Amino acid sequence: MPLDTSTYSLALLRLDGRRWNELRRLTAQISTQAAADGSSYLEMGNTKVICTVTGPAEGKRTGGAGTGGGNEAEVRVEIGIAGFSGVDRKRRGRNDKRISEMQTTISNTFASSLFTHLYPHSTININIHILSQDGSLLAACLNASTLALIDAGIPMRNYICACTAGSTSSHSANDEAADPLLDLNNLEEQELPFLTVATVGESDEVAVLVLETRVQMGRLEGMLAVGVDGCKQVREILDGVVRRRGKRILESAAV
Amino acid sequence: MAITILPPAPAYLEPQDDISSDDSDVDGGVDLEGNSGMRPSKRARHSSDQELVTPGEIVTDDPQWMRGHGTYVAPSTTEIVATVAGTVQRTNKLLSVRPLRARYTPEIGDLVVGRIVEVQSKRWRVDVGAPVLASLPLSAINLPGGILRKRTETDELQIRTFFSEGDLLVAEVQSLYADGSASLHTRSLKYGKLRNGVFMSVSGTGGGGGVVRSRRQVWTIDTVHGGGKVDVILGVNGYIWISKHIEVVGGDTAITRIEESVSSTVYSSQNDEIAPETRREVSRIRGVIEILVQEGLRVDEDMVMKGYEAAVEVDSENQGESNAYLGGEAVVPGAVDMEIAKQEGEELKNVKRA
Amino acid sequence: MAPSSTQQVLLSPAELSYLHTSLSLDPPVRPDARTSSQFRPLIAETDILPGTNGSARICFADGTEAIVGIKAEVEKSRPSYQASADRNVAEDDDDEEDEETRRDEQLAKEKKGLNEWVEMSVEIPSFRDDDSMPVFMAAMLSEALLADGAFTNKLWINRRFHWKLYLDILLLSQPLSYPLPLLSLTTHLALLSTRLPRLKSEEDEDPLFDDDWAASVFLYPRTQSLIRPPVTLLVMSVGNNIIFDPTKEELAVAESVLAVSVGERPQEKSQGDMDVDSGKPARDLRLLAIRTIDPPSRLTPAGVPNTLNTATGGTAAGTTEQASSKRETMEEEGVWQPPRGGAKRKLIAAMIQAVLARGGVAEEVLDGLDAVELG
Repeated sequence: MPLDTSTYSLALLRLDGRRWNELRRLTAQISTQAAADGSSYLEMGNTKVICTVTGPAEGKRTGGAGTGGGNEAEVRVEIGIAGFSGVDRKRRGRNDKRISEMQTTISNTFASSLFTHLYPHSTININIHILSQDGSLLAACLNASTLALIDAGIPMRNYICACTAGSTSSHSANDEAADPLLDLNNLEEQELPFLTVATVGESDEVAVLVLETRVQMGRLEGMLAVGVDGCKQVREILDGVVRRRGKRILESAAV
Repeated sequence: MAITILPPAPAYLEPQDDISSDDSDVDGGVDLEGNSGMRPSKRARHSSDQELVTPGEIVTDDPQWMRGHGTYVAPSTTEIVATVAGTVQRTNKLLSVRPLRARYTPEIGDLVVGRIVEVQSKRWRVDVGAPVLASLPLSAINLPGGILRKRTETDELQIRTFFSEGDLLVAEVQSLYADGSASLHTRSLKYGKLRNGVFMSVSGTGGGGGVVRSRRQVWTIDTVHGGGKVDVILGVNGYIWISKHIEVVGGDTAITRIEESVSSTVYSSQNDEIAPETRREVSRIRGVIEILVQEGLRVDEDMVMKGYEAAVEVDSENQGESNAYLGGEAVVPGAVDMEIAKQEGEELKNVKRA
Repeated sequence: MAPSSTQQVLLSPAELSYLHTSLSLDPPVRPDARTSSQFRPLIAETDILPGTNGSARICFADGTEAIVGIKAEVEKSRPSYQASADRNVAEDDDDEEDEETRRDEQLAKEKKGLNEWVEMSVEIPSFRDDDSMPVFMAAMLSEALLADGAFTNKLWINRRFHWKLYLDILLLSQPLSYPLPLLSLTTHLALLSTRLPRLKSEEDEDPLFDDDWAASVFLYPRTQSLIRPPVTLLVMSVGNNIIFDPTKEELAVAESVLAVSVGERPQEKSQGDMDVDSGKPARDLRLLAIRTIDPPSRLTPAGVPNTLNTATGGTAAGTTEQASSKRETMEEEGVWQPPRGGAKRKLIAAMIQAVLARGGVAEEVLDGLDAVELG
């Protein structure tokens, strides 16, 4: 449905006027909350996400996190989707399966990306609030978390940059000319198959890959390639945000 | 005006010439810049000699360098990669990256202010704002009755009489454990339980702002308006204690006697009589430090003294309305700013002349 | 209700005693040298979420921040409500003489809203939805909003449909100090900025709205006789001093804490009054609700005076009875004692007076919020 417009068939322009390989407007701010150890605010198109990081701090439950928590820091993620984030107001409980899965994905990703062995038996808490959703939810959460963790000064191997990629294959079902699409919005995500991919820094290493819709095997490689390329663009933008902030801090600090 | 409501600081926008379009400021974009440090600095500082790196960036691949904090060596290469966003510090053969903002990491010899959070059988766990709680063993404190007194079982049973949960103390980092946590000691006259004052915490050590390690972390201010002497203790971990100065009794008696006469009050939880003027000056100093943090300036003896003098100046300029509160109107921090700049300008002039 | 979150504020008995003594002086010396009715500067902005009918964000000076988003959806009114309205119409035909007055009455009655048309939810990080803190906050905020009974009438569309208003209140930072005033101010701003689409249909037909958002109507119309949403403030007392906008340290030594909800009374137009004040319309404030809040000070440990402290050369009490009896009788300067007992009636009256008085704190807060540019 999102691609059934005349503009797509004629000029290959999507609903919001983008071409197949264009990212939405991605803006971010770092250190938005003075009270938290690290914080960030990120917008991917109309998806708006706030992330705060607390820690590393001594875990309150020393008994429970005995085994794994002994030698490494534990990364705990909590996602809250605000009731006003969608077009219809919908209250989402914390036990929602989809939310739990996102939390686990993010937690596992950063558990391997951060240098957790530097902070044994402590906890790093990542709190994500979703203010508005318009597609690329998991990707926005990963990007915002990366920025907030950098703001908190927690050492990590590299940026984790994420974005979504989809395929027009359901629209042109038997067509060989199914194009991959970059950065899908909500309407496109509902109709077309898409995946979320996150890479490690500038390399082609994939840290996260989530595909929940059905797609033909042949399309997968194209989608992945476009996604990885999009992640590189995301990394440039995130790096720019961090550098600008760093420059400002250094300029205003007395030498 | 009893309540001041400020508009949010505008999001910092740089003219971008790549993909992301520029109408980001207006429609629905949320300006969520935090309160700290948005005002352009009035002090010209050369910052271009500070090298800024971000995580994943290769600092160097020269094998002669050894890696320090904030870096790691990619396996099977000689590249040193930064793990935090910060500035590169090169000392001798050691290459490290100092993060722009991070939790306090204890170093041996640091003077810290800490709060007891847990009492265990032979030691206390102390919160110093580090990732892991620090510990203060029973054997590392001064016991009343002289330094050479033997620790007995009664001491262990009465461990709470010395320090209990919630107590504040000033101590020094004696050593570090394998996991990076600190072991503290208070074996000196100047360390021990804190009273007669207020506590404040300053977050964000590192590249800009915050408490920096300097020559003197503890000093006394002669306050105005009859406030008397006020002690300021700047813990390197960002915890600060401001209190009324208590004269240490005894000038040149023998060492053992000093111990005995002082230690009777070292573990006291009872405050002495403190005059309202002193309390007001304590609040004023607290306000000065808050502003220094807000403006992203470093917090050390020098800056605090300058700030205090500036605050007193500003206060005296508001005829009649002697209010020590420095956060009220946006004008006032600016005024304090200018005072500090004025004094620094004079200093620079003196330095240049010299 | 003792807010468990503020128990996280650990202070030593020496600090508590210092703070308490400082705050009981005349005038009180606050840790940041504010006057007793001076608020800390806060940052406020509205209309930050274009996908909502109204939104606001407030950041306090201590770093806590909250976001409120308001969405409105058209909902069908319950048939029983409709039936009772119909029944009234049927009765009308019997009596001829009072028909006029009764119809007027009925029209006035018809626009009555129901409290269930407003749904409020409060989210505080690291608290579950059914924990006491969020539930209590939601109850207090909605109580203040619905207290005057006139708010829900704004949500009436026609006899078959009404607006269902959802207020989602998010606390973004950890609840370091009692978040009630922050949430209340943010809700107030969000309500002020809420707009509903303009109704184009007439009478009882299916509602049809103007697509042009610029034509939308404010929930709280910005007219001269503007009645603004309520606001809840936290007031505390130490000795005979009344202190506003307490920080978490100040709350820890409070003797009594009140949450006061203040609203505006619809003004009676009397020409005489309006001319007195130079242009500024007189506000008629009224008290909507008061709640006492258990100050966290009661849960703090008492200090040990030097005479009872073995470490300072005193002798400790032998048994616990001796210890507690000694503590009861001793009232030493410089030793912290958690406050016992309630607040005096006169003091509570004085606190309410300070809030409601003309030119008092509530008026200043409302004026300040008014000045925030909407959208």
